[in-house]
Amino acid sequence: MSKNLSPIEKIKTQSDALRGTLKESLHDEVTGAIREDDTALIKFHGMYQQDDRDRREERSAKKLEWLYSYMVRLRLPGGFLSPQQWEGLHHIAGDHSTGVIKITTRQTVQLHGILKSHVKPTLQAFNTIALDAIAACGDVNRNVVCGAHPKQSAIHEEIFQYANKISQLALPKTKAYYEVWLDEQPLTDKKQEEDPLYQDRYLPRKFKIGIAIPPHNDVDVFANDLGLIAIIEKGKLVGFNIAVGGGLSTTHGNPNTYARLATVLGFVGGEEKTMKAIYEVITIQRDYGNRSDRKQARIKYTIDNMGVEAFKEELEKRCGFALEPERAYTFNHRPDFYGWHQNHEGKWYYTVFVENGRVLDDEQAPIKTALLEVAKTGKANFRFTCNQNVIISDIEPTDKKAIEDILNQFGIIAHTEKAGAVRRSAIACVAFNTCPLALAEAQRYLPTLIDKMEPILEKYKLSDDEISVRMTGCPNGCGRPYAAEIGFVGTAYGHYNMHLGGDREGMRLNKKYKENLDETAILNELDTLFGVYSKKRKKGETFGDFAIREQWVTA
Amino acid sequence: MLVELKLKTLLELINTSSREELIWMNGYLAGLLAQNPSAQQALPQPAQAPAPVEAKPAIQKITIAYGTETGNSKKVATDFATQAKKKGITAKLVSLDQYRLNDLSKEEYFFTVISTQGDGEPPATAKKFYDHIHQNGFKLSQLKYGVLALGDTSYPLFCKAGEDVDQQLQRLGGQRIVSLQCCDTDYQSSASSWFSGVLEQLSNTGASAAAALTIGAPVAKKATGKKIYKGTILTNINLNDRGSDKQTHHIEIGVDEELDYQPGDSIGIVPENPLQLVDTILALASSNNGTPVTFRNETGPVFDLLKKKINIAWLPERVVKQYAAIVKQDIPDMKIGLVDLLKIYPVKDAKQFYEVVAILEPITPRLYSISSSPAAHGGEVHITVCRDRFKMDQEVKFGLCSDFLSQLPSGTEVEFYVHHNSQFRLPEAGKDVIMVGPGTGVAPFRSFLAERDASGASGRNWLFFGDQHFVTDFLYQTEIQNWLQTGTLSKVSLAFSRDKTYKVYVQHRMLEQAAELWRWLNNGAYFYICGAKSPMAVDVEYALLQVIERYGGKTAEEAIQFLDQLKEEGRYLKDVY
Repeated sequence: MSKNLSPIEKIKTQSDALRGTLKESLHDEVTGAIREDDTALIKFHGMYQQDDRDRREERSAKKLEWLYSYMVRLRLPGGFLSPQQWEGLHHIAGDHSTGVIKITTRQTVQLHGILKSHVKPTLQAFNTIALDAIAACGDVNRNVVCGAHPKQSAIHEEIFQYANKISQLALPKTKAYYEVWLDEQPLTDKKQEEDPLYQDRYLPRKFKIGIAIPPHNDVDVFANDLGLIAIIEKGKLVGFNIAVGGGLSTTHGNPNTYARLATVLGFVGGEEKTMKAIYEVITIQRDYGNRSDRKQARIKYTIDNMGVEAFKEELEKRCGFALEPERAYTFNHRPDFYGWHQNHEGKWYYTVFVENGRVLDDEQAPIKTALLEVAKTGKANFRFTCNQNVIISDIEPTDKKAIEDILNQFGIIAHTEKAGAVRRSAIACVAFNTCPLALAEAQRYLPTLIDKMEPILEKYKLSDDEISVRMTGCPNGCGRPYAAEIGFVGTAYGHYNMHLGGDREGMRLNKKYKENLDETAILNELDTLFGVYSKKRKKGETFGDFAIREQWVTA
Repeated sequence: MLVELKLKTLLELINTSSREELIWMNGYLAGLLAQNPSAQQALPQPAQAPAPVEAKPAIQKITIAYGTETGNSKKVATDFATQAKKKGITAKLVSLDQYRLNDLSKEEYFFTVISTQGDGEPPATAKKFYDHIHQNGFKLSQLKYGVLALGDTSYPLFCKAGEDVDQQLQRLGGQRIVSLQCCDTDYQSSASSWFSGVLEQLSNTGASAAAALTIGAPVAKKATGKKIYKGTILTNINLNDRGSDKQTHHIEIGVDEELDYQPGDSIGIVPENPLQLVDTILALASSNNGTPVTFRNETGPVFDLLKKKINIAWLPERVVKQYAAIVKQDIPDMKIGLVDLLKIYPVKDAKQFYEVVAILEPITPRLYSISSSPAAHGGEVHITVCRDRFKMDQEVKFGLCSDFLSQLPSGTEVEFYVHHNSQFRLPEAGKDVIMVGPGTGVAPFRSFLAERDASGASGRNWLFFGDQHFVTDFLYQTEIQNWLQTGTLSKVSLAFSRDKTYKVYVQHRMLEQAAELWRWLNNGAYFYICGAKSPMAVDVEYALLQVIERYGGKTAEEAIQFLDQLKEEGRYLKDVY
């Protein structure tokens, strides 16, 4: 820890509780960008500064600066919106952004292409429908995700409330968001925003918490910094297995970086102890996390540096109680349950397939219009899933037909049913043209690649096999490509590393199989691999498991 | 009356003379007769001319009045006044818009320097005077006068306003003591030799026509008289981004020879007609492309002349009249394009069309403010051209020259000349400068800023810029950002009119910054406006008056006086169109 702090650390501590020079940046009318230090700070307010990377060269020739805009991501614990909120979101997206509502892999939504002059109006409009973007990005606890489908069990509602409570527990205390974006009066007494959890330095790096309700692992619980696995006994929620140290991001050419699944440390029972354990896991990361090298700053490195046992001891010391041994659980499913389902109370749920989470009206289906029409009935809520889909939720049996009529009218049901098994379980991150980290395409390209994979799957009669395919434009792992049976990680434009051997439930990471493949090479590889798999697989053996047995990669 | 030989010589002279030369001769002879009824005696040999016969008291007092648009006439008139004073003559220098018309009848020696605008019009500042002398019913019996006309030979009605003034003063009974001198854009040497002649006349009271002879230079110069540069398009980019309603081209022209211009100057370019329009016309006229025709001393294939030399886009009434005579049809007085004329009132055959060609007028050049700086962009000249798009009869049309320029690919050769604008110059290096230039009005200010940046001028610079949208229409954004960063620009105030629900223009930004603006002005800053004459320049001036009133603690009247004072000091300068 004697090494120099990373520059971001200084920006955080000197930011006057995340205010920085944001107000001055907003007033600077000569540029659509904000000051460099402020680009680190707006993340804590749920935003990234981006630019249209497709347009850089052309705009430079025109003597125009890059086309800067902002991505706003909502804090939406458990991924829930009322119909009124959906309607509001729909209009805000149209008024201020590209119009596309992007459902993320963390159960929230984000809007892209918001110009600097539109940022405040956007956040103010969200505020009128009780939504905010606080801590949706940045070195803090991000959006808390939880098992999405209420049909899963009667305890779903209870878990959903946990997501809210955890979000509140780990919310920064600063009022900067209200002052900068909502024009509230500055605090007269700064003590009101003293923050015992984050202090003035926040966390060394982002922090993600997810809650899974076995046997469904839609949240990819082991990919979280802190994963909670709900333990249900006799139909009651008794507590959680606590898993620490998940995180998928790596850096090309940096051998010290690696993807890691969270390690289960033990079980805690009851809300009070659970909340205390969560809080102290965060304080350990705050105090022990690496603040000089941001590529070694996630809790996965902290726990490995300390050693799992030492970490657990420190946690128990801080909590003042011991963790119980982990309790038994099983996961058997990760993709979403598409189509109609009913929960224990008889309410209906329809999961819509939204390719790569992009809600818009396109030649495939007018999903955006259909969802607006559904919202206008006021008869359904909206829940997002970590697989980037939306569940039209909590529909009374008497209203089911009305909703179904709308979905049919816009072809949403046909669209969902038509999508192939691989496409429906696939995930891609945003990448080009807005993500500054992207090396290769992802959400703009994966649909095309799947188009070309589908004939091969058909050739080997694998069309109904839900092989999980995930693609990211860089090694940072937003699309969780390392937790897929086939992972594509962008290395350069049009080129991907191909990973194989992950399991289907998110319990085992894949391994790099081939490097730097272009599309032709990818399709040739898949043709060969699927051919072997279709001939030699055992009954029920998944592609990921087969890849290990066949030793294409080692587990 | 004349013997055959004399008549022959005269006709020969007439036939080989240009219109301008004939006008000069006309004036010369008139002057000669007016001064000395016995012309026979007065026809001296040029060699004898300068010799003063007898010394009489010199003329003590003259008036020099100018009508100016770009400031060139004012500059010339001011020079004249200075020269006169050196000779001991009191010269009253006055702008025609401030000239008391009733004084005209009291004038004895009255010299006018006047330019000509677009289609033969006098400059706006001379309009009142021009109209006044065109009313009959008064006599200028004691008036002795001379007129110096500034113009551009690229225009069909070259120096028309000056000619009119010259003739009209004579009609009112004035006595022309020097003949009319028409000057092209490179007016300096002909103007100064004309005034030397004037001075000689005035100090040499033997003032005979001989003096007029010493003025001697040909009245008018051909267009070839001004420096025509040959350049090559290096870059031609549309500065507006995709999705903009505007199309503003930044055009860089490379020139091998040495370029003589200063920030504030413009260049004149003659556009070519659109290919399709020429083809349509030739088809309507049943003419081959290659048929040789003669147009104003130039013979070439009809296609080439129609494409590059002849105005076919929008014919003035006087041309339409001549057209009507050729095709022998009644055509109402109107401005109309040749193609429509041919459609509605067709020519009989190709031969008749060539008669029409002969009466057409040349394409006139268009002026564009230079947006480069000699110090920063050596060997190049840049212009900023908004492709002018408008709707007529539901049809989208483009302005001829901006359309032509916007489509020139790099590598194309172009000809242009420099139009000097001495009234729109940077002040000394230490002075502060406030520039208001929305849209393409930013062009000369890019030149100013590049020049001040390159020369390290210490004065502060403040730019007001505006257009429709921040994202797509912020012309020269990255350069402006760089100047802000390096400190060349102290302040930039922006107004994008269509980004908000309400419209914001540069004048609103001025009012928001009124206190600071007043501090700059009061501190000696120079204030420049470039762009649309109306409504922009009018609104900006109004806003400026409000600023002076409010923060200078002045009444409305005092504010106007303050602004007049700025004008007089050369600190309030406009280049508007």
